[in-house]
Amino acid sequence: MAKDPRVTRIEDLPGPKSKGEMDESKMPYEEYCKKLFDVGNEHTKPTALKGIRWLSCTMYIFTPHSVANLAELGAECIKIEMSRMGDAMRHTSPFNEAYLYPLHDTRPMTGTGLGFTNANPNKYFMTMDYHIPEMVEQFYGLVKKSDGLTELYRPGTLDKWKMSYRYLSEMNPRFIYVWGGGFGYGPKIFGGSYDILGQAHAGLASITGMHEYMGGHATKCTNWVIDWQSGNMITTAILAAIHHRRKTGLGTMIEFSQVQVPTRMLGHTTTMYGKFGIVRQRWGNWDTQLAAHGIILCGKSDFPDADNPQDKFCARYVMVSAFQDADFKELCAITGMNNLYDKYKAHKDRVEGEAQVEIYTALEKWAADKSRSQVAKILQDAGILAEPVRNDREVYESPHYRERGTVRWLDDPLFGDMVLHSGYSCGHMEKTPRRTNWHWRPVGADNKKIYHDMLGVPLTKIKEWYDKAWI
Amino acid sequence: MCDIIWCKKEVTGKPCDTINYLDPYCFWNWEGTINCAECGTVYYIHMIQGFMYQGPDERPGEKPDTMPLYADKPFDGYSNYRPGVEGRTRPYECKPRSVLLGVADMVKFSIRGRPVRGWRPQPPSAGLAGSFGFNWDIQKLTPEVWEEYQQKLAAGQVKDW
Repeated sequence: MAKDPRVTRIEDLPGPKSKGEMDESKMPYEEYCKKLFDVGNEHTKPTALKGIRWLSCTMYIFTPHSVANLAELGAECIKIEMSRMGDAMRHTSPFNEAYLYPLHDTRPMTGTGLGFTNANPNKYFMTMDYHIPEMVEQFYGLVKKSDGLTELYRPGTLDKWKMSYRYLSEMNPRFIYVWGGGFGYGPKIFGGSYDILGQAHAGLASITGMHEYMGGHATKCTNWVIDWQSGNMITTAILAAIHHRRKTGLGTMIEFSQVQVPTRMLGHTTTMYGKFGIVRQRWGNWDTQLAAHGIILCGKSDFPDADNPQDKFCARYVMVSAFQDADFKELCAITGMNNLYDKYKAHKDRVEGEAQVEIYTALEKWAADKSRSQVAKILQDAGILAEPVRNDREVYESPHYRERGTVRWLDDPLFGDMVLHSGYSCGHMEKTPRRTNWHWRPVGADNKKIYHDMLGVPLTKIKEWYDKAWI
Repeated sequence: MCDIIWCKKEVTGKPCDTINYLDPYCFWNWEGTINCAECGTVYYIHMIQGFMYQGPDERPGEKPDTMPLYADKPFDGYSNYRPGVEGRTRPYECKPRSVLLGVADMVKFSIRGRPVRGWRPQPPSAGLAGSFGFNWDIQKLTPEVWEEYQQKLAAGQVKDW
């Protein structure tokens, strides 16, 4: 103890006595992360966007996904759908096989297809026919009680119905309004859009897949990447608009053309054309900036006796990355391509197109009598970055995704047992993690909650509207 | 985009007249032998970037390297050989499951054996204007599935993952 009792000495205090001791007392980083993010217990923590109420006049994937992001972060999101029909996306399912029932009371034999998945978690679902003046009044009532809206109708449609930003901002100056659609204003203002159109129109499909020289074609990504990514970009804009509103008290309008998004995803493509006149070509499973850095085909499947064709025939691809000189040297040594190492010692030589053709052809020839896991193991054991190209089943089985909670089971309150990733694939947040409460709900499942509990419409009126198919 | 081999081989006094389609994903750059789906005549072809550089030349007695994916007979009311006809067309391997139904698959349990609402018809909501609660009371609404679930539990067929 110090002589002067007013003096506090670190050695008299409990706990570590030096920075070194303090560092030693800290739990390992791995344990720290596990404790901090506490995967599986997200629902015990608060949500980031609690208090935000968002309207969603959306369909398909692109615009619903922009609202799904908010819903997973805790905003109260209300999706307005066509009465009895719902979002068109509910009526799509991969190869017409996977549905969950019911869709709506009036349609007991129709289900919601899994095409609807991930774009609509945690939302409340109400129905409304905007063409009915009484219903537009209810819509205005919702706008007055909400923070914003996302819609996807043809440009000017809601303006024609007096439901666009310039009308709504007079009712609620803090209102944030998002239009998301195909082309936006400009020469193709009336052009509708789908993900595939975006991939084609912006040039993404022209550089996806292998070149015709290698037997490939301009390729659309199997999944609707532009829809999902466009939704993310809108959500970013919405969060910025909410921050702007905190500073100014005013809402704003966001106009979002879907076909712009793939241009953002094209990287250096446009700039390279502007500077050098180079029109970027497809390079598929290889890479234009790095070599060797691609996906190769092996001769044997990892699961030759499997029942599922995806396992039996397709488990044959491995990604390999050995573009640094030392790695490339090792790759050539273990695959017996020493002549190629002598020929392409410098990266600037092997990244050139014809060199890549030679290198990858030799690699696939080496892998022709091996299975995917054999190739991956040989390369990994040599210290080279390599991973099998996994399919869905393998992702589901992967301990990595399971431990981090990326893929998990949810006992959906209405539809039962479902495996999902959704918001859990969007990174961990310590204080306010994303979460999925439910996958979706049937068409109009929350009509009473919204019309009666929120807007104060009498139950008899709601029944009358329902019988007239206004809701 | 798609080249063909129009087989006109005389079979039992009549030309075979079968169109064997050379799907570009397989044959774009390809050299080898391929059989006619109808009469089995083996042809040699060499395609470079979708262009028939050489062939089709008959190669009697040789074993075909591959088969066409699809073939049809336009003068026969377009009868056809769909993919996966044994010994005639290539197996159709790009299916997500070994059995592809093409119609809504009625499932009551997930792959780990727990109940999932994947069959129809389902009981109505019983709520106002189509409103639903937040709980599927499986025991009350679908007792037969609940019963089946109990049996699965007892048999140890319900897994965590």
